[in-house]
Amino acid sequence: MLKYFIKRLVALVAIIIAISIGSFFMIQLLPGDLATSILGVANTPANKRELYARLGLDKGLVQQYLTWMGHVLQGDLGKSYITGESINTSIGKSLPIDLEIIFLSQIVAFACAIPLAMKAARKPNGLFDRLSNGLTFGLLSVPSFIIVVYLVLIIAIKAQIPGTGPGSFTRWPEWAWLFTDTGMFFTTVGHNLTSMVIPTLALSIGSFVVYFRVLRSDLIATLQEEFITMARSKGLSSRRIMWRHAFRPSSVALLGTAGINIGGLIAGGFVVQYLLAIPGLGGLLIASITLQDYLVIQSTVFVVAVAVIVINFTVDFITTLVDPRIARD
Amino acid sequence: MSTETNQNNNPDEDFLVVENLTTTFNTARGPLPAVGGVSFRLGHNETLGVVGESGSGKTVLSRTIMGLQPRTNVEVGGSVRFDGHEIVGATEAELREIWGTKVAMIFQDPMTSLNPVTKIGKQIGESLHVRLGMSKDEAKARAIELLTLVGIPSPEERYEAYPTQLSGGMRQRVMIAIALACNPSLLLADEPTTGLDVTIQAQILNLLDELQMKLQMSVILVTHDLGVVATRTDRIIVMYAGRVVEMGRTKDVFKDHRMPYTRALLESTPRVSNPSHTRLKTIPGRPPNLLKLAEGCAFAPRCSRATEKCSQERPNLEPTGTDGHYFACWNPLDNQSAPVSSSTGSTKEFGEDNVRS
Repeated sequence: MLKYFIKRLVALVAIIIAISIGSFFMIQLLPGDLATSILGVANTPANKRELYARLGLDKGLVQQYLTWMGHVLQGDLGKSYITGESINTSIGKSLPIDLEIIFLSQIVAFACAIPLAMKAARKPNGLFDRLSNGLTFGLLSVPSFIIVVYLVLIIAIKAQIPGTGPGSFTRWPEWAWLFTDTGMFFTTVGHNLTSMVIPTLALSIGSFVVYFRVLRSDLIATLQEEFITMARSKGLSSRRIMWRHAFRPSSVALLGTAGINIGGLIAGGFVVQYLLAIPGLGGLLIASITLQDYLVIQSTVFVVAVAVIVINFTVDFITTLVDPRIARD
Repeated sequence: MSTETNQNNNPDEDFLVVENLTTTFNTARGPLPAVGGVSFRLGHNETLGVVGESGSGKTVLSRTIMGLQPRTNVEVGGSVRFDGHEIVGATEAELREIWGTKVAMIFQDPMTSLNPVTKIGKQIGESLHVRLGMSKDEAKARAIELLTLVGIPSPEERYEAYPTQLSGGMRQRVMIAIALACNPSLLLADEPTTGLDVTIQAQILNLLDELQMKLQMSVILVTHDLGVVATRTDRIIVMYAGRVVEMGRTKDVFKDHRMPYTRALLESTPRVSNPSHTRLKTIPGRPPNLLKLAEGCAFAPRCSRATEKCSQERPNLEPTGTDGHYFACWNPLDNQSAPVSSSTGSTKEFGEDNVRS
């Protein structure tokens, strides 16, 4: 088990290094000229030379990479070429919003998918199974931006629940005082959660559909297994058999899917964020691409990539807890 | 367990009464009668062997006796009375009351019948905790005792093992421990040694023998291997195409079998007295398609003694005259006048392979 994790950890570090190189050099391939977007009409050769020297862009690519990496390893992602704002601060403001939306949407998705998949798998091809299967198949083919439009219509316009905004909960540096003032705590958290309803639902529907379908088919297969008959012959209730005997061996594929899906949401949730004007990582990335703010793009891509890898590593870890056969070598 | 005393001590044969039991699967291609009218009785502490080829309905029979067959697309008829409970027609909730605690099953394949992601100790302790209401600690202590009982070395360590970390024989021992956890009075062993190699087979069967003595259970031993039942059962049922074709006390069936199918099975089992490299006889043909069962005796197409009558009319079970020995055949063998081979009919011939010294 330990050997397995050390191996995985080494691989993890290797992948992160590879990604840092990839994200650095890919940016160099982007068309456009940084000098134009910063200097505008003042883009004379002399000014440009002076600017590049100031930003360190006159050095060789390898040296630029090593300088950047050196700072990243010390926890400094650098400053925006254009606004001069620390990238740590920009990401520090946006990332928590992404994480909250993802966290909430995954809770909703799992909380719906697991019991419904169990109910459907109990009687494969029964009425409930066919209904839920048809419904989720339909939902699977609806893109999230369509779902957002309907959610805004129903929740924000019809039910008058505020539809956008990050809420104040995720402004990290200031939230420490929340815990000293209980009344304020609940007001703020309530306000924050209300603003999370639409983005959470929008992202959770996509996840729910996938989780439901994966878990349902795995449960149906597991329930055919001989060890389920064996568990029945012990006189256990069908509820206990479902949770204690069928669920765990059926959740390996579910976890794998969740890992990929959550990774995708970190960067891919931006369509929903964009539509709802939520200032998450996606928004930051789009803004910096438009401005050709290379260092911001590069550092954001790197942070997203690391987050995706860390999530998948965590999922792999949970999977080995669920099915100990996987880590045995 | 094949001793006469067992039977004489327990003259009541009404512990388990199976009457005209039928199990029919509704398949897309029509009804499939997997068990077609089986009747027998079993007394306390008695051991019954159920023998037949693959597909003869042995496994379905044992699952139907327990009420464990799937609930959808199955029709069960007849009656199974077990210690005052009627199994046929009982709801799953009613059956759950007796499953594990009164009747338990050992499954055929210890590779697939244990939960792969749960520690074996937990799997044994689960019924103790859930069914007998033991605390987690008591259940653990008892599970370790059970592991010792079934002969697993260093049981405290093995308690923490997952099924994949054990050998086939060990897993089957774990399975036996699970089945015996709540002291059932009837144990159904469905081909308990088929997946194991021969030396382990003998160990497992001897263990079952021992435990039956110790725990006072009735046992139904389902197998395709006559060698397995020869020395370990009081009575035998021979099944073919879902029906009983011969039944009786083990030594009567071995010595004085009347049904050609029984002889064919006996002749296709390896024996100690055969010189080495003797070719085993095989039964020509294949078991019939149960979806298209003919009118007459199901074995007729493969039977060398078949006459026209055999393919037209199904023979019923007739008594041989010996107590409790029945057969279903129009042209029964007469072993007095036409002995097959001097050794065919002796249970000893089969026993010596299996009995540990």
